[in-house]
Parts: sequence; structure tokens; C-alpha cells
Amino acid sequence: MLRNIFLTLLTFVIAVGGGAASVWYALNADDGFDTLRVGAWTAFPALGTPNASPYAKAAAARSGVLALGHAEGIRFIAKQDSAGAALSRNCTYKVAGNTPPARFWTLFPADPRSLMPLKAKDGLPAKLQSWAVLRQADGSFMVEVGPHPAPGNWLAINGSGMMALALTLYDTPAATSSEIGSVELPTITQAGCDG
Amino acid sequence: MGKFLLSLVLGILGAGIVHIVILFLLPSLAEKGPWQRLDAAAGHYTFVPVNSQNGPSPTIRPIEPFFEEAACRFDLKDGVVHIHAPGHVPFWSMSVYDRRGENIYSLTDRTATDGDLDLVIATPAQLIEVKKDIPDDFGKSIFVETDTGKGIALVRSFIPDGSWTPGIDRYMKSLVCQSG
Repeated sequence: MLRNIFLTLLTFVIAVGGGAASVWYALNADDGFDTLRVGAWTAFPALGTPNASPYAKAAAARSGVLALGHAEGIRFIAKQDSAGAALSRNCTYKVAGNTPPARFWTLFPADPRSLMPLKAKDGLPAKLQSWAVLRQADGSFMVEVGPHPAPGNWLAINGSGMMALALTLYDTPAATSSEIGSVELPTITQAGCDG
Repeated sequence: MGKFLLSLVLGILGAGIVHIVILFLLPSLAEKGPWQRLDAAAGHYTFVPVNSQNGPSPTIRPIEPFFEEAACRFDLKDGVVHIHAPGHVPFWSMSVYDRRGENIYSLTDRTATDGDLDLVIATPAQLIEVKKDIPDDFGKSIFVETDTGKGIALVRSFIPDGSWTPGIDRYMKSLVCQSG
């Protein structure tokens, strides 16, 4: 009798606990469904649309975010450099190359979990947009992201721990194109770390 | 032993069912969705600045630091919704979301007539009525057809640098979201 009660309880615990835990795990996983990888960058083109997978929909409902529409633009997130190492706030990175055609783009360092922009110390640049970017003669650009001031384009970082980079293209044909997977995005190269 | 295995298998099967049930219920049960957060901040047909602190958590998370955003909730049962603003800014874009926060329509100033923000959201049936005799107010409007009863209209405006902030503040405050 007691044995039967125990087994029934066990079944329920596994069902409810396992079911809830697996949903929680799936929603917090980085490499979710509907992701698109371009070099070090990841985009979620279906995020916040009726075409998103049930997982993406559940994750969006929890976060309180209203995602960019396809006509507005598309956001790429990098949590690793082009060599595959996680981005750290102690290191300096060179983000160099070109972006697909767009009206403008913006770049800022963000918290890797919440994707909220990181705050720099007062007066230091924590965000960059393409109308204000300094470019090479061939139109490409190089942005240095790190704790130490650098000439040219520089994004300041302070604190320690992991970070992410968010590159958002606005009013771009790339967002609606079927060839979005083959676009060219800047590379992220590590150029030294503190400590 | 056999009974133990059976309960284990039943448990795993049950976990699968629970997983699916939770997954599909989450979007409708989420209490912190954009709609609920806006509901706490203002009524229908009022543009609320995104990230305005009205209560414990911000209304909607801002998309990024270079933008100013405002959202307005509407219900097409009350009639068509007319969203407009005078003047021009370097860049604006707009999205229409359904009650669950899914993007159902988006556009930028490039698509709009003369770059003016002037949009009418209506159900297919309302649109037929409106187009029979287009009011002067809707002369230059873009018509958005949707079956969504309740929804959110979100306008984003780009701030290239700090010197633009006052002008864009004024533009965002002049946004109108009106029913009928």
C-alpha cells in the first residue's frame, strides 16, 4: 500500500518537476530555436513574429520585450569573438569589417543575459552609430571595444565578467532577404587582456 | 521492480505532457508581458514612453540606447485607430503588435508618404467602410489591415546624438493615438 503511494508520488514528482525544469532549461538556453549564425554573430529573425517557435514565443512573453519588426531592422548578438572565446569585459576587442547595406546601424556592449546596454563611466562612449563612425578609405571600419582609451572609434567598458555585443541594422534589405545567412558582418578579434 | 520502472516511464511521459502544456500556456499566462505592463501605466489610446518607471518595473524594455520609443494600446472594437504626428525626425519606425506582443506589421519613414507618420489600423470590415468614403483626415494615411482586436502600436525614433534629444522629445510627445 505504502509502496503504491510512494510510486504514484514518484510519478507525479518526475512529471511535474521534470516538465517544469525542462521548459525552464529550454527557455534559458542561449542557442535556442530559430537562430541564425553569421560568423561570431547570432540573429533571431523570427523572434516576436507569429512564425516564431513556441519556445521563442514563451521566452518573449516572459521578457516583456517588443521585438523589432522586419521592416524596422534586425539585431545581431555576439557573445564570443571570431575565434570562439567568450567576450570578457577585461579584454580589448577589435570589431572590424563591413556591414550589409542599411540606413544606419548601432553597436553597443550589453549584458550577456539580459542584453541590456552596459553603462560606461561618466562621459565615456558606451554606444556607437554608423553616422558617427570613422571609416577607412575603403569604407570599412574598425571599432576598438575595451577598458583602455583608443584612438579612432572606441567603446568604453568597465567592470569585469562576461559581455555581449549588439549590432543592429536599421531599415535594411538584409532583414527580409532570404539570403540573410550569407551576409557579411564585422569580425571580432581579441587584442589583449588585463590581468 | 516492474512497478518502479512503470512509474518511472509514466513520470517521464507525464513530464513531456507537462512540458508542452507549460510551453503553450506561458504566453497567455505571463503576467509581465508588454500588454500588462502598459496596462499598469496608462489606459488605451495614450502614448506611454517606453522604459517609463511607473511601478516596480519599467513598462517595456527599450530596444537600445540610441532610440526613444512610445507605445499606445488600442482596441479595434471601439473603431479604427488613427496614429499620426506632425513634423519630421531623422528616422522613425513603427510596429504593430497583437495583444501577446507578436509583431504583425512594421514600417519605416521611407515607406510613408512624404516621411510623415500617419497610419490607420482597421479590421478588414472596417476598412471596407472607411474606403467607401475616405475622410479628409485619412487622405494621406497608410492603411493597416489586421484581424487583431486588441493591440499595441509602438513608435521608435532614432537620436543620432545628444543635440537631437530636445527635438525628438517634442516629436514623441506630439504623437497622437486616436480611436474612430
